[in-house]
Amino acid sequence: MKPGRTSDILLGLAGVAIVVAGWELLVRGGAVDPKLFPSPTMAFAEAAERLSAATVAQHTLWSLYRIVVGFLLGAVAGTVIGIAAGWYRGIGLVLRPIIELLRPIPPLAWIPLAIIWFGLGEPSKFFIIFLGAFFPVVTAAYVGITSVDPVLIRAAQTFGLRGPGLLLRVGLPAAAPDLLTGIRIGWGLAFGILVAAELIAADRGLGFMIMNERNTTGSVAVIVVGITLIGILNLITDWAIAAASQRYIGRWHGR
Amino acid sequence: MRRRLIDILFASVVIGALLAAWELGVAYGYLKVYQFPPASRIAKGFVDLTTVGFPTGITVWSHTATTIGRILQGYAGALVLAIPLGFVIGSSRVLDKMTAPLIVFGRSIATLSLLPLAIVWFGTGELTKIVLIGYGCFWVMLSNVIAGVKYVDPVLLKAGRAYGASGIELARTVVLPAALPRIFAGARMALGVGFMVIVGAEMIGTVEGLGALIMEARTFYRSEITIVGMLIIGVLGFAISTGLMWLERALVPWGDPLAGVRR
Amino acid sequence: MRSSAQSNMGAAPRLAADQATAAQPAAPAIEIDRVTKTFADRAGSGITVLDDISLAIAQNAFVSLVGRSGCGKTTLLNILAGLEAPTSGAVRIAGRPVKGPGQGQGVVFQQHALFPWLTALENVKFGCRKRPISRAEKEDVARDLLALVGLQDAAAKYPREMSGGMQQRVAIARALALDPDILLMDEPFGALDELTRIELQDELLRIWQVRRKTVVFVTHSISEALVLSDRIVLLAPHPGRIARDVTVDPPRPRVRSDPRFATLYDEIWRGLSQ
Repeated sequence: MKPGRTSDILLGLAGVAIVVAGWELLVRGGAVDPKLFPSPTMAFAEAAERLSAATVAQHTLWSLYRIVVGFLLGAVAGTVIGIAAGWYRGIGLVLRPIIELLRPIPPLAWIPLAIIWFGLGEPSKFFIIFLGAFFPVVTAAYVGITSVDPVLIRAAQTFGLRGPGLLLRVGLPAAAPDLLTGIRIGWGLAFGILVAAELIAADRGLGFMIMNERNTTGSVAVIVVGITLIGILNLITDWAIAAASQRYIGRWHGR
Repeated sequence: MRRRLIDILFASVVIGALLAAWELGVAYGYLKVYQFPPASRIAKGFVDLTTVGFPTGITVWSHTATTIGRILQGYAGALVLAIPLGFVIGSSRVLDKMTAPLIVFGRSIATLSLLPLAIVWFGTGELTKIVLIGYGCFWVMLSNVIAGVKYVDPVLLKAGRAYGASGIELARTVVLPAALPRIFAGARMALGVGFMVIVGAEMIGTVEGLGALIMEARTFYRSEITIVGMLIIGVLGFAISTGLMWLERALVPWGDPLAGVRR
Repeated sequence: MRSSAQSNMGAAPRLAADQATAAQPAAPAIEIDRVTKTFADRAGSGITVLDDISLAIAQNAFVSLVGRSGCGKTTLLNILAGLEAPTSGAVRIAGRPVKGPGQGQGVVFQQHALFPWLTALENVKFGCRKRPISRAEKEDVARDLLALVGLQDAAAKYPREMSGGMQQRVAIARALALDPDILLMDEPFGALDELTRIELQDELLRIWQVRRKTVVFVTHSISEALVLSDRIVLLAPHPGRIARDVTVDPPRPRVRSDPRFATLYDEIWRGLSQ
């Protein structure tokens, strides 16, 4: 009675195939102007003609470099601050209102300030991506550490654990599932922000690559391929993070 | 009660001290005014914005109204498309499986990466901004509606059928109410996405709107106005999401307003 | 020691006779001396949860605390565990005042309170992490204890992969890993189904015989208290105080259908209904 996973995958593939084929046919059939919206095969062929694989790889690596640096800074700071604010009452009392005030400000709105503080170079991009990762992670870490089952804390206390030992051996692992969810959300957000940051002020990276194509009235094909490439990168890295966190918490926490 | 009062007092004293130190730091020249405009200057910036406006003539209210208008148009468009579509997809297993990878991919595409494409199609005017907001909100909304419909507790469906409901009636009396909490969670998340996208979208090709305001203020070295703009965006986002939470509590009194947020 | 966990219904507590005599000597394992506990409520005035409780519990005794919800039995247990401090009065374990947890009190909670990220074996090892023994010895202690509760084959399982009964067995093993003088148990079998519950009661009695601990056992169930205890202390609510102190004398090994239990059951029920 229970349908297998293979049939699910086949259905999914069928769905993708229908959309791609439909798109291809619409363009080939003349219903859509290929200059405005090229078909998948046309877009790919044209992009391959205009850009060398090495150029694309270079832009991709730049984007990944920025996102990894900014994300790591944000995730580490978010974890430390969220845990500290949730575990130590005094720290929480001061930090929470500040975080709550700043959290609703979208990371992109910090771009002007980032430029004022860090100039137009890499640090301002790191900073924006940092913010994108920081807020989801800090929230998740705070929620995770404040919702640790009190009975676990008591149990650990009966074995003589307290202070930092209690935090490291009980608080952190208990908060890990929430924290990892936040990290995954943070990564996704960082990704979306990176492209925006590169659209506005950059001379390399995938965001720059597609915006530059538009500004120089180049080919829509390159833009379409670029957008797709960014989406696929996002998807693959998200799966990798999900798989890694599942490896760590999957057996004891479940899905 | 008393404990809470002491807490608030403690937090405000520490935060007040930080603000005062910032003010003094600027006054004694340790911090540059341009880089770190202190609270007093930000307050003055706000007054300027409400009276003179920035750029001259466009006050903070019209910036805000413009931004809200754009968000609402894109947001409403996304909701109108996503809710019925989500119901159809969510109630059919085959459709759900067929569209799953497309939806995952649609969500993975960074909305703002569509900006160059949108400009090619719709120019640099209003439509581009509204379409981008709509795109961002649409996928979040769609996946939540589908999940809401798909994960209706089978026991409730059984109970509904046992009492003779079927077809449209079952959808109206059981599926819709059961899916509402998730739909609302989606609506709130989508709004967050909308706010995120608008700021980026307004940074290009316009001088009106809060996103344009903060960008424009920077080029004129008015960092305090940038900060005022940021704070208004933040307050606006917070206010609207709180408003939605109230609406949700009124319309879905049986739901947990945090369900779906923590997953 | 070789008993299988699932079928130990008849595991005979052989030491029952000397247990009773050993319980007589003067130095009590636990002394509760005029303990009062007051919580501040929202209005700012206090609610007295425990009112002037005094109790001495003998070495190796099995004492149950029975009472309705709100009689403060869990609070009393937490005070014994050192997890809460009394408002006034003192608690001494083996003559030493209790200043906090980890002074030789092993605690088993109602929810198993196992660390979900640790396997059964790691959870038990956690229990002896503060003991001054080598790493290898800890491993041995933990494996022995898992065997004692009949779970040697479940060492690598995580709590969520175990049944409620297994979880509570691991929790008992973990508390024993501390090598405590006294074992405090807060409705440990309250969340289990009836059959598992009976099984674990017998298991606990067997362990108690082998390991010779002083046990303080909080429960709602009169029959559970009767099967297990040497002595049942009845607590009355509002404010929590000792209503009655009943000695349970039917000799061990006990049979659940022993007619003497019926008389005691009535006596306790009357004591609770006053």
